[in-house]
Amino acid sequence: MKNKDYYQIIGVPRTATQEEIKLAYRKLARKYHPDVSQDADAELRFKEIGEANAVLKDPEKRAAYDLAGDTGQDFQPPPEWGGGFDFGDSGGNSDFIDSLFGRHADRRGQDQHVKVEIALEEAYSGVERSITLRVPAIDEQTGRVAMQERVLNVRIPRGMHAGQHLRLTGQGAPGTGKGAAGNLYLEIAFQAHTRFRAEARDVFMDLPLAPWEAMLGCTLPVDLPEGSVNITIPAGSVAGRQLRLKGRGIPGQPPGDLYAVLSVVQPQAVSEAEIQAYRSMAEAFNRFNPRSAMKENSL
Amino acid sequence: MNNILAGSVIEEENCLTLVELCAASSASEEHVISWVIEGALEPRGDTPEDWQFPGHALRRTRLALSFACNLEINPPGVALALDLLDQIADLKARLRRSGCHSPAGRRL
Repeated sequence: MKNKDYYQIIGVPRTATQEEIKLAYRKLARKYHPDVSQDADAELRFKEIGEANAVLKDPEKRAAYDLAGDTGQDFQPPPEWGGGFDFGDSGGNSDFIDSLFGRHADRRGQDQHVKVEIALEEAYSGVERSITLRVPAIDEQTGRVAMQERVLNVRIPRGMHAGQHLRLTGQGAPGTGKGAAGNLYLEIAFQAHTRFRAEARDVFMDLPLAPWEAMLGCTLPVDLPEGSVNITIPAGSVAGRQLRLKGRGIPGQPPGDLYAVLSVVQPQAVSEAEIQAYRSMAEAFNRFNPRSAMKENSL
Repeated sequence: MNNILAGSVIEEENCLTLVELCAASSASEEHVISWVIEGALEPRGDTPEDWQFPGHALRRTRLALSFACNLEINPPGVALALDLLDQIADLKARLRRSGCHSPAGRRL
């Protein structure tokens, strides 16, 4: 595996002072913080700079990293250097290291967090997910600490929505001595959807209409996350109007609502008959002035 | 291991105590108390021993911890950042509701 260039990731030369590293990290952490940045790969970058900073901010670890680079060796940060779990766990794997050295007997294991993406449709039905965690453990052959994979099969209940946390009691880091294991928290996020947008339990969708469907009213079959329904468009509807389908949002107590946001799509006139239809409209609406508001404002 | 694990939804539980919130978020009690003093977190109850945090405080606390540890923001700054993020989230939600979508590859 190719070594990661932590200096390049942080954007400083190898001769940078600790203060320069700290400042550069803080700037990047602000830029790529997943809750602040709009970059699609912000979370990945944030983890990457976090891993680089965990090594470079500590003179001892930095020296070991520099030495590995100078001698052409592969460099893998040990699990206790951080970066094994999700971002934000400032505690790192200290419980595990403590357990190795027999410190803090009978201490409860740390709680851990993992983000899990589900499809919006899965929030309506509930879903089972297989989650792979990377946890530090002693390799029986070498006796050294190494990251091992642990797979959990989890039932995400119907009705969970983005931002909520599912607590799995006792599935976090193991405790030391007689200490109980910590809890594992799954933070739910929704995968991007081409048709639906969710706000807590409420779900929004665009519903494009032809001008005559909006003005004359109609009934349309529409596919929703949990099946197809017929939606009645009232006569005289305009673009931007929201039709609420009560209780058709994400299930819960109470369930969310589903909102169809209407838009009106103007058809292109290509054939002679279509052009004639627009001419007839112009005659029928000869008193209609779409710029009347502009005229009033200009006076 | 084929067992299917079931959990409980934090946001639908009654409340978290200070100790539970600290364990779940990895934040220290000192940190959480400083954020409560600044108004970034608003538990029910008068004293730290009595505090009851709503389930959604977990996400807010983890965010506050991330700001404090990664960006070295002090408690008033954390409170301000969280308030501004709330406002941005509210504006983004309004845009999404009205049908404005984010450009490809950008998060809204």
